[in-house]
Amino acid sequence: MKYFLSVSATSFTFSFTLWIIWSYFLMQANLNPSWDGSLIYLPHAARVLCLVYFGYKSIPALYLAEISGPLVFGSVIPDPQMLFLAMVSVLSVPFALFVLSIMGFSLGHTRQSPLNKRNYRHIALIVMVSAMFNALLVNLVLAEFDVNYFGKTADVIQVARFFVGDILGAATVIVVLAVTFRPLISRPKGNSD
Amino acid sequence: MKTFLSDINDALIMLGSLENDLAINNFKPNEKKVFYTIVILQESSGHPCNISDVVEHSGLSRSSVYKTLKKLVSGNIIEFEQSRDDKREFLIKFC
Repeated sequence: MKYFLSVSATSFTFSFTLWIIWSYFLMQANLNPSWDGSLIYLPHAARVLCLVYFGYKSIPALYLAEISGPLVFGSVIPDPQMLFLAMVSVLSVPFALFVLSIMGFSLGHTRQSPLNKRNYRHIALIVMVSAMFNALLVNLVLAEFDVNYFGKTADVIQVARFFVGDILGAATVIVVLAVTFRPLISRPKGNSD
Repeated sequence: MKTFLSDINDALIMLGSLENDLAINNFKPNEKKVFYTIVILQESSGHPCNISDVVEHSGLSRSSVYKTLKKLVSGNIIEFEQSRDDKREFLIKFC
């Protein structure tokens, strides 16, 4: 229970903070957070990192953060479709991990693991595969519901924007985290599997 | 709680492996500060900075910056290039 609370608090704070930063920059650029897809969507990093390192227990907190952002800062009351889309976005990462696992790339934290969570290249692969699933599935649902948020319907350009935006956003966050945290931590050599 | 900390540890090791590939892992805090200062200066201005810029923005002494720049040059991370406008000035460029 204590682990679940720690994971939930960390995941929610991380994801919600990234959403705030992302929406702040959109507002600075005089753009509104919209479903046509940002080209640097920072919260995708939170989905991937929390699910990779904390597992499925982080899903409720990530989902809560996903729907809280627009609610708190955009004053947008999510409709049932939005709630469903947020769930699809969060589940794109476990779905990617599941597909990779079926293909023989199961997640672990040793050098022998096909997908080593201590290797940033493997994290990059998960980011890309989950971004692909997120772009495809969210836009599939948008098209199926025939939802028209902010005057924009799902099309192939939007799929591409979701895909590229998630990858660039996650890459930005991971590089910033590496630059921010590593100078503060001195780690003895030979401790990186 | 132990599991939570080991999860965080895994994440930090991943971030560390990224920094290993950036080849700045073995640098001391001052040396990292000089490196990051050069990156920030070049990104914000869009052109190579000079040594005085690094001294001014890093808050380190001129001798510390010189020593660090020499280390970065020997590690083939940066190189000096003579300014076209002022022959006495050396610009810092990434290799």
